[in-house]
Amino acid sequence: MKDKPFYTILILIAGLFCFLPLFLDDYNLHVVILCLFYVMMASSWNLLAGYTGQVSFAHAAFAGIGAYTTGILSAKLGINPWIGVTLGILVAGVLGLAVGVLCLRMGGIYLSLTTLGFSEILHIIITNEYEITRGTMGLQVPGLVADYTKSAYFYIFLAGAVVTLVILYKLIHSNVGLNFRAVQNDERAAASLGVNVVRVRVLAFTVSSALAGLAGGLYGHYLLLVTPEIPSLNLQFLVLSMTVIGGMGSFVGPIIGAFALEVLSEYIRAYGEYHVLVFGLVALLMARFFPKGLVGIIKRR
Amino acid sequence: MFSLALMNGIVIGVIYALSALGVSLIVGIMNVVNFAHGELYILAGYFSFLFADALGWNIYISMAAAVGLVFLFGILIEYTLIRPTYGDDMYSLILTFILSIVLQNAYLFIFGPYPNKPPGWVKGATNVFGQFYYGNQRLAALVAGVVVIAAVFIMLKKTWFGKIIRATSQDREMAELNGVNTKWLNMYSFGLGCALAGAAGVILAPVFPVTPTSGVPIALTAFVVVVLGGMGSMWGCIVGGLTLGLVENFGAAFVSSGYKHVFGFIILILVLAIRPVGLFGRRES
Repeated sequence: MKDKPFYTILILIAGLFCFLPLFLDDYNLHVVILCLFYVMMASSWNLLAGYTGQVSFAHAAFAGIGAYTTGILSAKLGINPWIGVTLGILVAGVLGLAVGVLCLRMGGIYLSLTTLGFSEILHIIITNEYEITRGTMGLQVPGLVADYTKSAYFYIFLAGAVVTLVILYKLIHSNVGLNFRAVQNDERAAASLGVNVVRVRVLAFTVSSALAGLAGGLYGHYLLLVTPEIPSLNLQFLVLSMTVIGGMGSFVGPIIGAFALEVLSEYIRAYGEYHVLVFGLVALLMARFFPKGLVGIIKRR
Repeated sequence: MFSLALMNGIVIGVIYALSALGVSLIVGIMNVVNFAHGELYILAGYFSFLFADALGWNIYISMAAAVGLVFLFGILIEYTLIRPTYGDDMYSLILTFILSIVLQNAYLFIFGPYPNKPPGWVKGATNVFGQFYYGNQRLAALVAGVVVIAAVFIMLKKTWFGKIIRATSQDREMAELNGVNTKWLNMYSFGLGCALAGAAGVILAPVFPVTPTSGVPIALTAFVVVVLGGMGSMWGCIVGGLTLGLVENFGAAFVSSGYKHVFGFIILILVLAIRPVGLFGRRES
């Protein structure tokens, strides 16, 4: 197996990252934490879109489910946030399984439409059930560590990102991962060779949703406030842009995209609301002219 | 209450049907779902507002100009964004999704977050069947919606262009073999689909003012209608649109108004679980 270089590189980079809190002030550390959150989100979305060819618009919604599950449990019932995050992953995974079973039989467009609808339903429920979720005001949640420091959260997110990447790598480079590729390349040929197309897609969807739940849960406890901005189409759009700009269907693409766009967005924050417009235009041009993203441009050289 | 919900349901149902027709037409021919459908609906609303309010044009001329411009914009979208993705359904989804966010933010930039409303066509209210008073503008929207839908059906059934549209959505390759220029057809039918979104926009804008994101629920409902009626089925759009309009308004009147848009999605989930091809859909070969 070609596993060795991946783990070496991952350990090396994660090891270098460990020293970052020594050099960076709180603001820059915050930016890196956000980058790591987006790495988790974009990489897990890429599992679905890049490796099985199914476009889900509910990835942010599943992050929201993770965030609200642990948020409600820890804020209202006083459950330990770590247990809350774990339950958030489970709930996101189970709901992902349900949505997957429901619409992956039809595949393609049906999944995209249903997930868009699903994320809209979730949004409506969260804004309407004010008593439980505190609606658009946001739900105040306790932190994951006793005394709140950026560097503690940095290590939590670093661990989260490493775990996510290892799970994804293992999955993609297993037999199941070969099935993903086969289904994406030619559904009928894969089915004729005995690949259960629906089951492969449902598996990818479930894993991807559960990982979004993990990212969302950690994110909520980092911000200390869970708002409907997490399960929003704006976040979905950011994650999608990062993946597309970085390079969909490649392992490092979403990682590069997440860092590139988050750092870029800090620079153009001065333009306020319009930075989404700038992102959109960049993403549109990239998607149109460089469908393989930044990774594709680098490889072509 | 009952008759008012019925009336509201029919009016909004016709508009749903109209905007779903646009989505369905494009799906039937190109197998592409245009996620920017709602933003084109809004664009037409803004254009008609701009022409009628800022430039002082006659409202009917403004509406026609708005729909015409959206048609041209649709052709431009097809030519620049959709054409390179032929054969890759997923990529067109991503591109139109990004386009919808870009357009929303562009509207925010240009028009601001405030609701804009073109002037109404008619004033006052009419007593409907001695039950309740109903705004004339809404009644006019109902009539206009029915007229446009009828025009689309006549075009599809009676004209040469409608014939090649039906032929291509039944069997693309056979249509090509019989000399249909499908590239050309794609471009014009995409424009036409967008123009139908625009028509729905100009009809509904005087009733429900447009904001940069107010197209999202309309587009989502149109997608639900298309799945409910069956991908690519025109009659499915009519039945699905009316069903959804009625369910939403009865649900809002008798169950909970906050959950108005959820009822439609519950129907979507039921359809997917019980009959995924939709009411009028045909199974893929």
